[in-house]
Amino acid sequence: MKFWLGRTGSILLAFALCAGIQLLADQQSDFVQRLIVLAGLYVTLAVSLNLINGITGQFSMGHAAFYQIGAYTAGFIAMKFYAGAKLPPELWMILSLLTGAAVASLAGLVVGLPSLRLKGDYLAIVTLGFGEIIRIIVQNQPAIGGAYGLSVAPRFEMIWLVWLLAILCIAVCRNLLKTAHGLQFLAVREDEVASSAMGVNVTRTKVTAFLLGSAFAGAAGALLAHFEGFVSPKMFTMDVSFIIVTMVVLGGTGSITGATLAAIGLFFLPEKMRDLPNFPLGNLVATGIGIIIMVVGFRHIAASFHGKIVERVMRYLAILTLAVVVALVLGPIVSKVPTLGVPVEGAKLRMVVFAVTLIVLMLLRPQGIFAHHEFSWDWLRKVLRLDGAKKVPA
Amino acid sequence: MAGLELSTLPQQLVNGILLGSIYALIALGYTMVYGVLKLINFAHGEVFMIGAYAALFASWGLGYTPNNAMSGSNPINLLIMLLASMTLCGLLGVLIERFAYRPMRNQPRIASLITAIGVSLLLQYGGQLFLPSSPAPNIDAKVNPYQDNITIPLRPVDGTLVTAAKQLEAKQLETKAAFDAYLTRTKESPFQLSVAGQPLKKAAQDAERDLRTAEGKAEASGLSIRLPKGQMIMLVTTVVLMALLNFLVMHTKPGRAMRAASHDFDAASLMGINVNSTITFTFLIGSALAGAGAMMNATFLSGTKIDTFFGMLPGVKAFVAAVLGGIGNIPGAVLGGILMGLAETLVVWAGYDSYRDAIAFIVLIIVLLFKPGGLLGSNKVEKV
Repeated sequence: MKFWLGRTGSILLAFALCAGIQLLADQQSDFVQRLIVLAGLYVTLAVSLNLINGITGQFSMGHAAFYQIGAYTAGFIAMKFYAGAKLPPELWMILSLLTGAAVASLAGLVVGLPSLRLKGDYLAIVTLGFGEIIRIIVQNQPAIGGAYGLSVAPRFEMIWLVWLLAILCIAVCRNLLKTAHGLQFLAVREDEVASSAMGVNVTRTKVTAFLLGSAFAGAAGALLAHFEGFVSPKMFTMDVSFIIVTMVVLGGTGSITGATLAAIGLFFLPEKMRDLPNFPLGNLVATGIGIIIMVVGFRHIAASFHGKIVERVMRYLAILTLAVVVALVLGPIVSKVPTLGVPVEGAKLRMVVFAVTLIVLMLLRPQGIFAHHEFSWDWLRKVLRLDGAKKVPA
Repeated sequence: MAGLELSTLPQQLVNGILLGSIYALIALGYTMVYGVLKLINFAHGEVFMIGAYAALFASWGLGYTPNNAMSGSNPINLLIMLLASMTLCGLLGVLIERFAYRPMRNQPRIASLITAIGVSLLLQYGGQLFLPSSPAPNIDAKVNPYQDNITIPLRPVDGTLVTAAKQLEAKQLETKAAFDAYLTRTKESPFQLSVAGQPLKKAAQDAERDLRTAEGKAEASGLSIRLPKGQMIMLVTTVVLMALLNFLVMHTKPGRAMRAASHDFDAASLMGINVNSTITFTFLIGSALAGAGAMMNATFLSGTKIDTFFGMLPGVKAFVAAVLGGIGNIPGAVLGGILMGLAETLVVWAGYDSYRDAIAFIVLIIVLLFKPGGLLGSNKVEKV
């Protein structure tokens, strides 16, 4: 009884949250709405890839392909059947989501099969290859617009559905990990041979992971197609796959919380940089020096300081202050040098900042921000107690 | 599907091998780094891109700027460009290893992979801030003193067709002269003719078309292979570098250290090998080879446009080539590169030119599914 109450409560809460996001987004500009939708889609993509990469340990780098298949399937069936079906938009969207998911998971089956034979980097490069092949094949089909893309007839701006899908994806992954089936996925990640000796059907587990992961990506693609009203092969290049993989790894491989937060963070970071003003090159150089001071200092502390946690944090803060001060003071001084005074276009820095964030975060915390931790109230309590520094009196 | 022109096949095979030699040079770098570190060095393609820029700047430094009309060149210029490119790439490779990969060495490999992607993005987009990329520059073709071709005839031209073409030439000259005379007499523009001029123009055009068709036929009756000298140099350099590298790895002390490190870092360092400097050396050599490939690609395939994404596709294809040949295997990388070049030109030849970038992956998937160790690699059996 208590279980069902909790479950119903969570579902209602999820719907309420989505309705809240929709209400909030309705008052925003088109651009902000688009950002909210894309952020939701990236959360779905990152969490679903996390199921394949992080939880099952099959390093796939072709997630954009499933996204693309979902998008094109939705676009194609909308072009063929929407006018004749006369369905209410919500119902149509759900059907479209399901179809996109089904077709993408079929592709996931095909891509998952090599994972039965290949491991690690080889699997990574093969899935990357599948992604490119699918994109190039789509690009050469005049029936679905070829390289010019396909316009998707009805545009629906269902922001709530985007986030509902994201929440559903998170919930499926989280709940899966709490079952015996979920433990099989983890076992396959840790050691295939040992887990098969323990009676885990490795083949089925791997293929299931690919099926589920690609189904969610396909559903996300269907939503993208109807939101943008247009799909083209250029929207699903290798870079998209790289970005999704990065989100998963940066969040902490295997951590659903990490994937979710990294997806939101990494999506908004480059978008925020779009309207950066121009500034002299010297500032860029000074910022670079500041970042180097920070990385070197942080790594030094992490490697050789073993004192109390408070002292450690103080040292981190000192280094951070030093880095910021150096960057701020050095910038104007260095810019006086004629060759370093030339202006740099701020907008061009978008991806540079993305790349630097990636490298710096990996250098400082290679296991990802959340490592293998998941968000839970217990964990939060433990973190806030700073690793048990203040023990609760027994 | 376009019909297969069998007569152009030999030429296409040659082109494929020549193209493949660039992939082979890049693949050598991949295969060495992967062999030692077990890391897909995604930034390798970007090192290649920087190498192309280094060659470009060297050529500008030698005076071959876009606005400067230099005439002629000599092999010394090419050598300077090659050295500039190789040095800069070697240094860049060492820097990347020291500051991006070495701190990650004890971490899970996936973390290094993400760092590699980060470095690659940094070079692509950071390069846009400083390097000339739009409009994309290209190295002035005049810097290459070897512009002519070696032609190897396979089948002589059919003599009767040549004489037939010669006969048509007389008629063409005659009709053209008549038409020109008409134009000078009446002072009409060739595009606004009066009724009297029309048949003359038509006759001149018909005669010219017949002549060109006959000439084309005569030319097609013969069969020859064109070997651009510059690209031949490229192929020879690749093979020589591969042989040197193979000697280095197989028969010298640093090479033995590399092979030992690729088996087991810990055991190698217990045997007195400085693993760090061995890895630095590996990156130096691998990146310098990419630099050589980049310089030759940008110089000998004249008109190659250089931008900051220049290394991306060759980089991926070269990685595929390295896997195809058997990763960690030096002759395998060259074989894989050349096969990759052949596959690409043959796909274009067969009329599927829009699939030229997909073929690399199709070949890769087929090979990996049936021979996961690559063509020349060994299949390792997993032991429990």
